[in-house]
Amino acid sequence: MEWASDSLKKVEATREARREQKLPPISEEASDSLLKQFHPDQTGQERAVRIGVQSGKLHGLPQLMELLEADSPVPQGFQPVPEIETDVLIVGGGGAGVAAALVLENSGLKVHLATKLRIGDANTVMAEGGIQAALGEGDSIQRHFADAYVGGHGNNHPELLKILVEEGPDAVGWLSRLGALFDRNEDGSFRLRPGGGTSAPRVLACRDVTGLEIMRVLKDALLSGNTHLLEHHSAVELCDDGAGQVTGAVLWHTDSRRLIPVAARAVLLATGGSGQLRLQSFPTSNHLGATGDGLVLAYRQRCRLLHLDSFQYHPSGASFPEALAGQLVTESIRSTGAHLLNAQGERFINEMSFRDVVAAAIIREVSEGRGVTTPSGRQGVWLDTPLIDRLHGKGSLARQFPGLIHRFRRYQIDPEHHPVLVYPTLHYQNGGVAIDSEGKTDRPGLWAAGEVTGGLHGTNRLMGNSLLDIIVFGRRAAESILQSLPTRSATTLSALNRFREERSSLAGVPTEASPRLFPEVSKIRLELEPSVPGNSPVGDAPSSGGGGFEPPDPFFKG
Amino acid sequence: MSPSPTVPKVRIKVAGKELEARVGETILHALWAVGRGLDIQTGCAGGVCGACTVTVRFADGRPGGTDLACLRPVEEGMEVFPFPVDTVPTQPPVDRPDVDQLRQAYPTLDRCTKCTSCTIACPMSIPVMDSVLRMQRGEFEQVAEDFTTCIHCGLCRAVCEDKVRPHHMGIWVRRSLGMAHEHPGSGEKDDALWGALLSDNPEERLQRAREIRGSGRIA
Repeated sequence: MEWASDSLKKVEATREARREQKLPPISEEASDSLLKQFHPDQTGQERAVRIGVQSGKLHGLPQLMELLEADSPVPQGFQPVPEIETDVLIVGGGGAGVAAALVLENSGLKVHLATKLRIGDANTVMAEGGIQAALGEGDSIQRHFADAYVGGHGNNHPELLKILVEEGPDAVGWLSRLGALFDRNEDGSFRLRPGGGTSAPRVLACRDVTGLEIMRVLKDALLSGNTHLLEHHSAVELCDDGAGQVTGAVLWHTDSRRLIPVAARAVLLATGGSGQLRLQSFPTSNHLGATGDGLVLAYRQRCRLLHLDSFQYHPSGASFPEALAGQLVTESIRSTGAHLLNAQGERFINEMSFRDVVAAAIIREVSEGRGVTTPSGRQGVWLDTPLIDRLHGKGSLARQFPGLIHRFRRYQIDPEHHPVLVYPTLHYQNGGVAIDSEGKTDRPGLWAAGEVTGGLHGTNRLMGNSLLDIIVFGRRAAESILQSLPTRSATTLSALNRFREERSSLAGVPTEASPRLFPEVSKIRLELEPSVPGNSPVGDAPSSGGGGFEPPDPFFKG
Repeated sequence: MSPSPTVPKVRIKVAGKELEARVGETILHALWAVGRGLDIQTGCAGGVCGACTVTVRFADGRPGGTDLACLRPVEEGMEVFPFPVDTVPTQPPVDRPDVDQLRQAYPTLDRCTKCTSCTIACPMSIPVMDSVLRMQRGEFEQVAEDFTTCIHCGLCRAVCEDKVRPHHMGIWVRRSLGMAHEHPGSGEKDDALWGALLSDNPEERLQRAREIRGSGRIA
């Protein structure tokens, strides 16, 4: 990093003096003003959506509103004759979807889990820092609530948040009994770290690979069970019975490029977030498939969406090397004592403030000329990783953050000796589909869980509350499905047809269909295999009796 | 914020077909840039899901081998071949693990011929073969440590001629140890505070929450 040697010298020069330096917590007024001036949610570009159940009322960035107004990729007149008939269709193979599938195992219900990529290729596996649960001495369920509520600017749905924090210890217990290994202290108790905005140490972790640990345990458990897996199957539309009940989905199979209608008594939307929309040209920490599909599908079914004007820009996405741009550098490095520094080697924010505040502070430093510019033209501030070994002894950084070390060393950067350059990265969709305390959406037959939902985290999420969310609400939605599984009803596209009718009267609507399924930058597009009869408009639809009910050997299990 | 246009270019081959790539980007991003994103199976694009397994050959003749397309930077003359590894069913863990139970779950445990292929194949630098030998000796705590950063890409299994399944055994050991641990309790609570925290008045809710953050109590 020769290009930054002047600034790096300043960082090293101030390191010893900073060791004992304590920055006061930022005042509420200062934090409000910082957010107003520098947070990317506050750029004033939002507009209202012009179609659907919240027409004129729901606001968000134009790019996102266009997705909600776009047409479906399902051809006009397509007949959703089910090729698969199941009891429960889970859409999404991340933590929420797989947790739900595990609860439904041994229920006697036939369960299919469809996912755009493979099981576990999701934001869950990329989560690093940890999972919150009020297990520490001097901590409490109510403190957990209070931290998340203040951090979410009081925009959290109180009932949902109460469930999250109350079920925290049990959710961690469930993972632990499935065999997830969380870091422990010498005496065998769980090691709890603070996170940005926690008033007590509350974050459990498996080094800096907590999401990986949770996801691989869930996946391993799922693979020894009886859930039918439909990998590389993206949901592109939901089906309904014409009377408001969701009854299935149309899937797009990446390899054959065919559309595959599925009939289900219950559908669980666990499609995750939308970082790959790369709003306002931010890089993202999200996986390939995070394109907001669930928002689009639910909205066409006239489900309400909440807080779509609120996104989480994680303070520390990598800015250098270019190949790692946007990838997460975990918050727990700050919890462990690393400082954020501008180009002059000066601290500029209490590093354990809420995420939105820290992100805004970094953007302020850069926009006022105190950032560091990379050879590729990206900007950033330093995260002083070498401080960790100074504070906690040699080898501490490598022991606690093996993922970080492994990733950067590939590019000849050793975080034990050199700070890493970071800048906010699009990380989390704070808002999403409205649900009740059982995970039910506005439509019978349709449940939702995890990042696709909105309300729980208000307009800013705390570290460790998302891994908790997917476990608590993934399981909860599955339990609710068991309690109130609807009877089977017809599989039609009437909600889509009504949407199309409404859309036809709207001028200036986008021409590209949604959900997009893949990020713009990947240039991967949904294409339909033209020679397959089912992909053609009505008239060419298969004349067979349809409803072949056994799944065509999904995956490796019959 | 976009990369400068003056970045030097290299030629690489993926699945036999040439493409031009920018120095500093990964194989995966090079494929995206030319509209060939589906040529290599992809998941997280961030080095932790293990979807984008490939084999790589270098123009200068130094040893190539397996890697992740999302982490390997391009270089002149590099040849890349997709190497997707199938997901297969796993065996459930047990709560008091020993070597016999591991052997019962994964009977190929003892077939390891110490060829080191698995260790060489691992994109996470895990000492896979050494850890398989530790499994045979029942040194499970160290095995669990070895597999801490395992991304379950399956390469160690795919390259093993003797059908040893190191990463499956690694997580079997980790989960079994996890199940044997003591599990968390229920946490402390002060349910008397719910009344204030769930007040009908949003302003009051926020104020009470601020107080509880400060002292754990309502002022």
